[in-house]
Amino acid sequence: MNALFRNSRVLIEVFVLLNLAFLALDIFIAHSVNSFHHPAEWVPFYFSLLAPILLIAELASNWRGKERRMLIGWGVGFCSIAVGIAGALYHLNSSFFETQTIRSLVYAAPFAAPLAYAGLGFLLVLNRMVDSGRLEWGQWLIFLGLGGFVGNFLLALLDHAQNGFFSRTEWIPVFSSAVAVGFLAATFFGHVSRRFFDITLIIMGVQALVGALGFYYHGMAVKSGIASSFFENLVTVAPLFAPLLFANLAFLSGVGIWDVREKLHGANHS
Amino acid sequence: MSFQNVFIAVVIGTSLIVAAMLINNARPPMETNQPGPEYVRATGKCAECHSKETSAIVHQYSMSKHASSNVTCYDCHQSLDGQESFNHSGFELALDLTAKNCAQCHKTEYDQFLRSRHAAPAWAAVAGAGAFTEEQIEYSERYHKGAVRRPANKLAIAEGEGVLEMGCLSCHSIGRPNADRSIGNCTECHARHSTSIALARQPETCGQCHMGPDHSQLEIYNESKHGVLYALQHQNMNMDADPKTLSTRDMPIPTCATCHMSGLEGMNVTHDVTERLSWWLFAAVSEKRPNYQDGQDAMKSICLKCHATTHVERFYAEAEDVVLATNAKVQESVDLMISLRSEGLLTAEPFDEPIEFVAFDMWHYYGRTAKHGAFMGGADFVQWHGNYELLLKMVEMKEMAKTLRAH
Repeated sequence: MNALFRNSRVLIEVFVLLNLAFLALDIFIAHSVNSFHHPAEWVPFYFSLLAPILLIAELASNWRGKERRMLIGWGVGFCSIAVGIAGALYHLNSSFFETQTIRSLVYAAPFAAPLAYAGLGFLLVLNRMVDSGRLEWGQWLIFLGLGGFVGNFLLALLDHAQNGFFSRTEWIPVFSSAVAVGFLAATFFGHVSRRFFDITLIIMGVQALVGALGFYYHGMAVKSGIASSFFENLVTVAPLFAPLLFANLAFLSGVGIWDVREKLHGANHS
Repeated sequence: MSFQNVFIAVVIGTSLIVAAMLINNARPPMETNQPGPEYVRATGKCAECHSKETSAIVHQYSMSKHASSNVTCYDCHQSLDGQESFNHSGFELALDLTAKNCAQCHKTEYDQFLRSRHAAPAWAAVAGAGAFTEEQIEYSERYHKGAVRRPANKLAIAEGEGVLEMGCLSCHSIGRPNADRSIGNCTECHARHSTSIALARQPETCGQCHMGPDHSQLEIYNESKHGVLYALQHQNMNMDADPKTLSTRDMPIPTCATCHMSGLEGMNVTHDVTERLSWWLFAAVSEKRPNYQDGQDAMKSICLKCHATTHVERFYAEAEDVVLATNAKVQESVDLMISLRSEGLLTAEPFDEPIEFVAFDMWHYYGRTAKHGAFMGGADFVQWHGNYELLLKMVEMKEMAKTLRAH
């Protein structure tokens, strides 16, 4: 396991790359809800197609060459942050401010969702600014994981509120992300023991299972959707890939927790 | 392991969960207490998009009784057996809503409507029996003999297809045969997203079709004491009152619906608008309906909410005198036309000779106007717009007949 994390900087690069690539599919489905009504809705889609190619090119170049080139990653990182912030502003503009009620919050476009780009961009920038050998590096990962789980909590709450929490299982991600936020916050802000790190790692493992369970439930909902077209159901019934964000963030947080735990307590400490 | 860190983690997690549950509890029951998740989604998702595209319908719905009774968009718009459907943002919706969609919840009202002249007879009066099933024709003929098993209206055909759609059928579609084998559309009187009882009780709603020279009920009502009082006092009336508990306190002034449909103070409510009628007033020469006595008794019991028995009896006797007097004048014109035809002075083609139009106006305009005026308290319509015109047109017809016979 430690060998894997020895090259943790590359691990995070691959994590970002895969996430950006997968977002192309996710954005295509999400923005199909309103048939890409605004031309700007194509921006994250094309960005998600292009960015992974650029990052792969940079990774390949660094793999062969002796000198490390990071310029492309810097550019992709800052662009990703810009795309994320612009997306959040666009989503807020959709209906959130027309009437500030719980209802408008529930039915507004998911304003926290585009921040995924900002998070990934920040991760690329972080990976270039902070040496992965320093304690700070892992702490930043935990911080980003914490931010992600706050977003997960809000998205799970608001998305499932659209369903009126019709099925009780819809409360699972709300509860589990709340627990994740609590433990990640304590890990990030407090001075915690090795055992607490271990418990937080287990909790991250549970989050990954919640993600897999959510993927299954959303799949079932899409399968039994009332529209006769599969694509209509895929686009409108339940966001099929959204629960996988739990597994995704659990992985990111897990890397951070492991890294900090090893640096603080090492194998010989307890 | 520090207790402090565990405490912080548990407090943060628990606080978020409690906050989430409090926020969810604050949501309106109509968004949460639904029979299926698709109904829950429909309440908010439909409004979210349509408040941008067709915002008025969202507001109409939100002010309706349906909204306060937790009826969602999907309850009405879902496609039922026999209805063509389409995919719309994850919902399988009916392409056209019909009375069948309303009958899911309002079956009694729909069954009453089916017995009425608003159903199949209304459509057949223009388009004939063609589009109805044999079962539908037989059912309606039981209540309105000869009103459905009939050919398409010759005048409507002569006026042309465009006119037929935008003219005659826009009113007569109240009884249109639907592809799902239901008849009619409740929205003709209740509107679509407002689904309003008040609207159906408003005289102007009936007056969308029951106006003009061939059935001038709205004009007659406006001239009558009922209409004048309504114009003055309708702001004080509770037009939205529940039909099951409707009282004269809610509607002290009668509108069309009060007399023809409403269940004032315990009386039966009916969507069979012909139930309380006693004469075939729309016919050229009027006869008593088969349910003459029952219909008249039912109508009189509404009259008695405001008027004494002697007044009601006198009113009916005088109105029936007008019917008989009008019948006599119209019958004279009918006899004249029969005689001209038997003499071979008219072509077989309808509506191609001036005298045919005058003969048609005799009963279709002036005869009906006089008879409706008599039963609805429209003095001017009994006399100047009715019987005076009948006298005048009869003289004109006789002159035309003289000319035809001279050639």
